[in-house]
Amino acid sequence: MATDSADRAAARERLSALVDGELDANVVASACDTWRDDSEGRSTWHAYQLIGDVLRSDDLASQPGRDAAFLSALRSRLAEEPVVLAPQPLESAPAARLSPGTRSRGRTWVGASVVAAGFVAVAGVLVLTRSPGVMPAATSEALALATPQVAQPAPAVALQTTNVVTEPQALVANGKLIRDARLDRYLAAHKQFAGTSALGVPSGFLRSATADAADR
Amino acid sequence: MPFRSTRALILLGMTLAMLPFVPARAGDTGGTAQASEVRGWLLRIHEAAGHRNFQGTFVVSSGGGVSSARIAHYCEGKNQFERSESLDGQPRYVFRHNDVVHTLWPGSRVAMVEQRDLISSFPGLLQAGDDRIAEVYEVRSLAPDRVAGHDANVLLVKPKDMYRYGYRLWADKASGLLLRADVLGERGDVLETSAFSEVSIDVKPQPESVLQSMKKLEGYRIVRPMLTPTTLEAEGWTMRVGVPGFRQVSCVKRPMEGAAPDDRDPAALAQQERARSPVLQTIFSDGLTYVSVFIEPFDPQRHTRAMSTAVGPTQTLMQQLGDSWVTVIGDVPPATLRQFAKGLERKKQ
Repeated sequence: MATDSADRAAARERLSALVDGELDANVVASACDTWRDDSEGRSTWHAYQLIGDVLRSDDLASQPGRDAAFLSALRSRLAEEPVVLAPQPLESAPAARLSPGTRSRGRTWVGASVVAAGFVAVAGVLVLTRSPGVMPAATSEALALATPQVAQPAPAVALQTTNVVTEPQALVANGKLIRDARLDRYLAAHKQFAGTSALGVPSGFLRSATADAADR
Repeated sequence: MPFRSTRALILLGMTLAMLPFVPARAGDTGGTAQASEVRGWLLRIHEAAGHRNFQGTFVVSSGGGVSSARIAHYCEGKNQFERSESLDGQPRYVFRHNDVVHTLWPGSRVAMVEQRDLISSFPGLLQAGDDRIAEVYEVRSLAPDRVAGHDANVLLVKPKDMYRYGYRLWADKASGLLLRADVLGERGDVLETSAFSEVSIDVKPQPESVLQSMKKLEGYRIVRPMLTPTTLEAEGWTMRVGVPGFRQVSCVKRPMEGAAPDDRDPAALAQQERARSPVLQTIFSDGLTYVSVFIEPFDPQRHTRAMSTAVGPTQTLMQQLGDSWVTVIGDVPPATLRQFAKGLERKKQ
């Protein structure tokens, strides 16, 4: 989204603060989005991390390809390790289906755990947002509208499962009722008993008294 | 072999890294109360509301609207007297002497005289040793606070499932009177706050003021809704699968006219007179909150469209069910209302 240079400079500032651990909590999400969406952001991030490492220790300054070479060498060596805690005898190899790769033995178990750890980490960050104006009466429409807004920083919202099909349309009310005189009567009839609620007769009774005043 | 220990280290590292993501499922035991303690706190609040003399200004704010009323409550022996005067919008006075309630609208000169059976569900539920509230709510005390000039104990009532809302209650330390109540939604957001902005507790009781006002009904058109007690089963219905925690506490048949005089719309008033078909109202409660289920014959002229609305914490749901029209209202999440509507069905003969 940041197309002009001022935005980009601001994004770089945020990434830099994030690397140093000095970023405000409410801005962290947008900084992570920059990293995710923008390849330039990712290379900036990589550069900052590298700078930090090199500043901290001369040993960490090395050829660019060294890390990648090390990781691939490590992966191939891990793949060759025999599986220590295979739950089934080797001939049935049930763990094979978990493996994203083509090898059917060896790396399956470890690979699956690494992938799982990755998913758990991502799940911790994923938030599903809903625009704050929508009142609690959620419909499948409202939820569908909310999903494209995942990228926005917002308080995390519990996922709601809604009944599809025979969902009555939600009419949002702002403290006053959408006019239906009969609904008014139902509400009055309901509040008659809510007056004797558990929390003490006057409390519920008064809530109904003042709420009725608002309805009119 | 060096790589075996490498793998072990990596696995250990991954396990430790995953620990923060394991959801904290174990409920924190610090501060959560025993069932008997819970009963004690809630009973004290209930007792204070019934037996203390107090007067003050009560403010309710929900869904963007604010309304207030001046209220007074007196208790003399076994008799309770209440007076409430709305300070916003249409003037409305409510006077109560035990279970007789007069509601006066000076604007339209209509008075409603009702016999409200004080449903004994709440104290009954507690005193019978039935710990239903503790079954579905977790009550915990929070740090003390101050409301309307009075020191208060704060209780957090958290629902144990998603069929109900939570509450935060402020009760006066000295008397136990509920000074403020917040209704908390599913995400912990405040759906409604009702609180005293100022209150004097243990004032001198003035029951005559209430009684005299109840006698002054000249010039008012008096409406007396007739309620017929019955049971859901007797009317041919049954709740096949109830909502957890909720129990049927009352069932009445009532005509749905005259309950809401609206002096802005005389035509609506006339229409209300005509709509005399009795409606079956069944009330379910989980000890703290109520859900009303209204059942009436389906009328295509009036029942045009299924609808669900929300006013602050109060959710409503209206829809057709076979040849009947069902309206469900309660201070509960909308999913609970849908569950009630789903569970209702005609009794098999």
